[in-house]
Amino acid sequence: MGESPFLLISVTSAVAGLVAGFVMYRSDFCVTAMFRDLFLVRDFFLLRMLVLLVVVSMLAFELGRAGGLLGPYPFPLLGPGSLATLIGGLLFGVGMVLAGGCVVGTLYKLGAGSVVSAIAFLGLLAGSALYAEWHPWWSAFARATAFGPAITLPQALDLAPAWLLLPLATLGALYLYRSQRRGLLTRPAYAAGHIPPWRTALILSAVGFVSWLLIGMPLGITTSYAKLGATLEALAWPEHVAGLAYFQAQGLNYTPPFAAAAVSGGAGPQLDAIAAIQYPLVVGIILGAAGAALLVGEWRLHWRIPPRHYASALLGGMLLGAAARMVPGCNIWHLWGGIPILAVQSLLFLLGILPGAWLGSRLLVRFVVR
Amino acid sequence: MEMNTIQLDISGQLCPSCLLLTLKHLNQHAAAVRDGRTEIVVTTDDRQATTTIPDAVSKMGYAAEVTRVDAGYRIRVCSKRG
Repeated sequence: MGESPFLLISVTSAVAGLVAGFVMYRSDFCVTAMFRDLFLVRDFFLLRMLVLLVVVSMLAFELGRAGGLLGPYPFPLLGPGSLATLIGGLLFGVGMVLAGGCVVGTLYKLGAGSVVSAIAFLGLLAGSALYAEWHPWWSAFARATAFGPAITLPQALDLAPAWLLLPLATLGALYLYRSQRRGLLTRPAYAAGHIPPWRTALILSAVGFVSWLLIGMPLGITTSYAKLGATLEALAWPEHVAGLAYFQAQGLNYTPPFAAAAVSGGAGPQLDAIAAIQYPLVVGIILGAAGAALLVGEWRLHWRIPPRHYASALLGGMLLGAAARMVPGCNIWHLWGGIPILAVQSLLFLLGILPGAWLGSRLLVRFVVR
Repeated sequence: MEMNTIQLDISGQLCPSCLLLTLKHLNQHAAAVRDGRTEIVVTTDDRQATTTIPDAVSKMGYAAEVTRVDAGYRIRVCSKRG
């Protein structure tokens, strides 16, 4: 442990996190809002930013793959799609709206001083760790309902990736060009130090590309929530944590791009490859957002809010954390990483998150924001 | 004519409380705001609301102006005429 592959991985992740946290805060680049506001106020603006991010990443990843820059392909930790992914995506959609942010949105808001997001963060840790209690049953369900062994849609159709990716990216680019011509990619903003979201979408595509180039996969953080949850749970109940199959499993086994040997990691409390990749990203996002808020004088704690907001954040966070393990993966991982290579799991996740965000929006308006 | 001001302090709440509560009050007082008899002034730390509220109310035919206060923002929603 502690040799060079982990150093490069950790430093890359930390820098990626700092950049992502900073620009996401300044642009209010909230992935939850992209889906939620679509249903609540028919606002498609932020969703267009997601399309931009996906189309640019799709082209960049495909050029990187064809040029031999990006490996392994597809990146690790993706599995075959199943009904479990679809259900997990739906629960994820509900959870992120009730928590007021997804797994990454919660981090950048927490970094900027949001107390309600800090509560959502605790819910995320609890929900992620609780998932271990029903993991054996859930993973059996996922295996029983798997749609086939293919990881990506091009694999499933036995096509070279470019045959699907290039026409899709071209369609997306035409849509974006038309939107730009009609002035739909920008809108007036008055917040201090605001960065136009289209610029943040491009920066985040670049961050994802660099992450895959240097670490071997795009941005992802949710296994580390289970890991941190397990670490805290083990302080109180070490035997119980040691006995759970989910915390024993080593789901990640791969050779990073600039490493001589394979590394492995899982959701258990130990410091392994997952910890090296994801912990610095989590800390980086929080610190990047804190810096972004401090520089414009906006870092301030607000905690006098209706108690039902805290309840929503805690329960939503728990649901979000558990759902991220059931998928497995979060919206950043699947929408920014998996969709650009047409990963089957990511496409199913997207299908699930849409009705989930709709349902979450209804619950939010009915019970929380009144 | 005396201007009636509805003050809302929506700091620290779950997103998108700021937008939804502002729209709720706006709908309740639609006629008075349109006539210029009432204005809604929101104090918030929600950066996103500084974009979404002006965007939403201008589509509905009202005006909005955003000013920086302390560590947050004040968003004034009023009639387009003044």
